[in-house]
Amino acid sequence: MIKRLLAPVLGFTAFLALWEAFVRVFEVRKFILRPPSTAMRHLWNFRDDFLAAASITSGHAALGLVIGLTVSLLLGAALSANRFAEWAAQPVLTLVQVVPWVAYVSSVVLWLDGGNKPVLFMVALGCTPAFVFATIDGMRGADPATIELLASVDAGRWEVLRRVRLPSAAPALFTASRFNIGFSLAIAFYVEGSNFSNEGIGSIGRRAASQASSADALWAAVFAMAILGFLGLMALSLLERTVLRWHVSQRSQPG
Amino acid sequence: MSRIVLRELTKSFGALPVVAPLSLDIESGSFVSLLGPSGCGKTTLVRVIAGLEPATAGRVTVDDLAPRVARANKRVAMVPQQPGLLPWRSVRANSRLLLDVNRRANPADTTDTLDLLREVGLGDFLDAFPHELSGGMQQRVALVRALALRAPLLVMDEPFAALDEITRTEMRTLLNRLVEGRGVTVLFVTHSIGEAVALSDRVLVSSPRPSSVVADIAIDLPRPRSAYVEDDPRFVELCSQVRHALHAGMQP
Repeated sequence: MIKRLLAPVLGFTAFLALWEAFVRVFEVRKFILRPPSTAMRHLWNFRDDFLAAASITSGHAALGLVIGLTVSLLLGAALSANRFAEWAAQPVLTLVQVVPWVAYVSSVVLWLDGGNKPVLFMVALGCTPAFVFATIDGMRGADPATIELLASVDAGRWEVLRRVRLPSAAPALFTASRFNIGFSLAIAFYVEGSNFSNEGIGSIGRRAASQASSADALWAAVFAMAILGFLGLMALSLLERTVLRWHVSQRSQPG
Repeated sequence: MSRIVLRELTKSFGALPVVAPLSLDIESGSFVSLLGPSGCGKTTLVRVIAGLEPATAGRVTVDDLAPRVARANKRVAMVPQQPGLLPWRSVRANSRLLLDVNRRANPADTTDTLDLLREVGLGDFLDAFPHELSGGMQQRVALVRALALRAPLLVMDEPFAALDEITRTEMRTLLNRLVEGRGVTVLFVTHSIGEAVALSDRVLVSSPRPSSVVADIAIDLPRPRSAYVEDDPRFVELCSQVRHALHAGMQP
């Protein structure tokens, strides 16, 4: 158990040490890469600013995720009940997934008049395809024996959805969340840098990137985002452990 | 109690006839097995009786009700081949699943499933999850889940097929104990001769597809039946009789 906890800490420390050594030994130019020690020092010195910005950014990412998930559950439930509708929706969802959102984000910012709205909209939109596909697959994967059993007592559609199909989709939704947490933070960071406001880690990053002298601030922003991502994944793991207690992925394995 | 009546029932999937014209009366409170080779249409027939599949022609009634109506009123309790337990529900919650849906059709005096769970020997596993149970225990939960409905007709589709021989024998004894005195009508699908004889009052032997009843054998073993019913010479005789009927039915 101690080994299990120690190994990732050691791995991460080794990574930081190598990074630090690389920057110092090869004298990498300042605006290309900063050693982790200076970035972390900057983060510590401006901790109040970063803390305020982090609460904005994590709020954007979390709320956007929840909106995206809600829309996806409704959409996925509807689509999993109707093959034709699913086929019709597939190209649109794929389009959302493959078209680089950075290409049209400035139009969205103008359309929604800056501020929080375009950030939430883009995060929710970005998370939707993975969530919808997970919902459809998970709901379709529900045990046919149980579905038939519920049919034998004339259970309603909504009852089957709530009691069997939706919980069956939970493992796939958690997997999609793992991916979407990182994605939503990335989108939040980027849109915060272009939504005409000075809030969020994204706007710190944006300001820092525009001047070579603030490379430390830029890398501090990178570290802050990494910490947020890490915390997000940890929270997800905890939630998974309670919600998916019954699932094969959460059982202790030998070795 | 439930009486099942079939008159000239047929079922086809497209051009493929699965159930040949079949007429049958099943008395209330009797235990009737439908025995036949794999793929002969036994499951299709019970699905029609349970109201999960419409008949192509002919008539079926369960207590004078159309199967669809009997199903809507929760008068048919099914035990499928796979237990179909919900992995996120505890034993206790799983045993209540059929009571939790379509509630307005529940019997007026629903009881806790606790007594039933204790009766089948799961008293120490109320809060366990399905993955913590053996196959036999899972099927016992499925049995309780069906009995909890207090439906007059119990339809069991090869419920013990996936279990090992020792567990199967144990389940036969348990099932006999549970249905004797409850007055429930049981329609039991199986491809095990011993199982059919040990459990039933009557064994219907089915031919290969399209399914028709080629023999209707009364099982006159006394009740209550003990775990040693299979040692009874009469049991061996009856098995032999059923086996011959089965083989005769399989000749083209």
